[in-house]
Amino acid sequence: MTAVNPPVASHRRRSAKAHRTRVWSGVIVCILFLLPLVWMLLTSFKQQRDIFSSPPSFIFEPTIAQYVDVLTRGGFAGQMLNTVIVAVGASVLSLIAGAMAGYALSRLRIRGAGVIGALILASRGVPPIALAVPMFLVARSLGITDTHITLIIAYCSFIVPYVMWLMRGFFLALPKELEESAMLDGCSRMGAFFRIILPISLPGLLSTFIFSIILAWEELLFALVLTNRNATTFPVAIAGMAGDTENGANWGALAAAGMITVIPVVILALLVQKWLIRGLAEGATKG
Amino acid sequence: MSVDSLKPNRSRTRRGAVVKDVISRWTFMVPAIVLLVAVLAYPLLYTLQISFSDFDLATFAPSSWAGTGNYEDALGDENFLNSLVVTGIYLVLALPLQIVLGFGIAFLLNAEWRGRGVVRALFLIPMVVAPVVSGGIWKIMLDPLWGVITWFLGLFGVQPIDWFGDAGMAMISIVIIDTWRSVPFVVLIAAAAMLALPKDVFEAASVDGANWWQTLKSISLPMLAPIIAATFIVRWLGAVKMFDVVVATTNGGPGQATNVVNLYIYRQAFQLLEFSTSSAMAIIVLVITMVLTFVFLWGSKKLEDRL
Repeated sequence: MTAVNPPVASHRRRSAKAHRTRVWSGVIVCILFLLPLVWMLLTSFKQQRDIFSSPPSFIFEPTIAQYVDVLTRGGFAGQMLNTVIVAVGASVLSLIAGAMAGYALSRLRIRGAGVIGALILASRGVPPIALAVPMFLVARSLGITDTHITLIIAYCSFIVPYVMWLMRGFFLALPKELEESAMLDGCSRMGAFFRIILPISLPGLLSTFIFSIILAWEELLFALVLTNRNATTFPVAIAGMAGDTENGANWGALAAAGMITVIPVVILALLVQKWLIRGLAEGATKG
Repeated sequence: MSVDSLKPNRSRTRRGAVVKDVISRWTFMVPAIVLLVAVLAYPLLYTLQISFSDFDLATFAPSSWAGTGNYEDALGDENFLNSLVVTGIYLVLALPLQIVLGFGIAFLLNAEWRGRGVVRALFLIPMVVAPVVSGGIWKIMLDPLWGVITWFLGLFGVQPIDWFGDAGMAMISIVIIDTWRSVPFVVLIAAAAMLALPKDVFEAASVDGANWWQTLKSISLPMLAPIIAATFIVRWLGAVKMFDVVVATTNGGPGQATNVVNLYIYRQAFQLLEFSTSSAMAIIVLVITMVLTFVFLWGSKKLEDRL
């Protein structure tokens, strides 16, 4: 922003300067926070000899060899597919259950809604490790370890409460007359919910859906415990790759795999950024 | 059925309709309740049961009642107590740092200019990077031999630092990585909260000649206190689950220096198959987390009432 020529000179000039400092510091901090990702991007396109160089190479001949390698060798492509299946599956299931419950909490004056609200918050304090042992034992005795559906159901433990709370906020903002008039026309409450309320809450549903996907996308503990080959998701694979890497071994593969996992969620997050920020603020202040 | 409730003159049908309506209301809760009982309530009760039982590895099920024996084992395990301390150190270092940085950066980002929306959108990006991936990125950058940060610090004459090999530095590395991922979250909440503050108060302060520090201390902080407290609680609930970043970087080492409690319990359960003791440990962590969460909630309520 250019400095204006103010009537009361010195004071305003000083504040214009302060404003410029503030803007530029903000930009610099933002760049600093993005640098690690830029570095991962660069590393993922490097050949091994450019990775092992001191000083680090900033200009080099790019190669997509690491990406080809990661996607064709080992099970990474399959693990990405598993992650997509599990994240989408858990989000759909959580969205159905959570949206209905969120509606009940927002609209129906169910007695004990306050208690349920407190329970939702308490559920976020439950350490996942306290759920992992029984989940593993039950899945093992049912013979359903290492399947997508087990992981999908397990992920509902942390996604459903979140969805309930977010959707409750969206529904609270809708006028009550909507479903009341539908119910006067002979619609059942369930019918009014599915035919009137859900369609107009589509933006809220969509952003909550994306929020859930991001939550499920990065989960490691349950994936470690409940899968071992067929249904393994990418965090398990990347934790292994990162754990193995010492002094440059495997960096290219790690960086390329990392980029592949980051790009889809970044696109999703940027698509719904306005809602995402609102959802975050809501989750923080009222959840 | 709801149409019935429009006929108020016939009380019996009306009561029937009310009952029906209450049932129809509760049906909305059914799917969520079924799911949450299956994946939250039941597993928790099962963990509680295992924590008070001996565990039979032949049948893979809890067998005889063991009283408080598992809890005595857990509390007598020095490494477990150490992992609690390690987790505490991490939380004490990370949480205040992240809250202060987050609100500070939010102030910078809220400066009014054309690119504000873009900068704020870019801040979303580190937030959605999976913790294991962020561990990987930073492991590459902090490498003592080929890491770009080692090279950069070398330009200023700093000797290569063994970021993950030294006990103290390993903890600092974990805090840095977690802070990189978590601060953007605080920033976005804080930025939204700050924009919602009434502008006229600040104008009045500026007219009265209040300086930067006075404005911060007497206006911004008191008005932001509730949102700072809420953000702290949300961050606390996330940070207390710390697991992924450690697994991807130090794996608890060197020695036990970064062996956070979740990793320690995970190993007890799934590598050593000590299901009873690990369940007791999980319950202990659950109780500590709940009590502290309650204290924080109570504290933030008190804070809000006082202002």
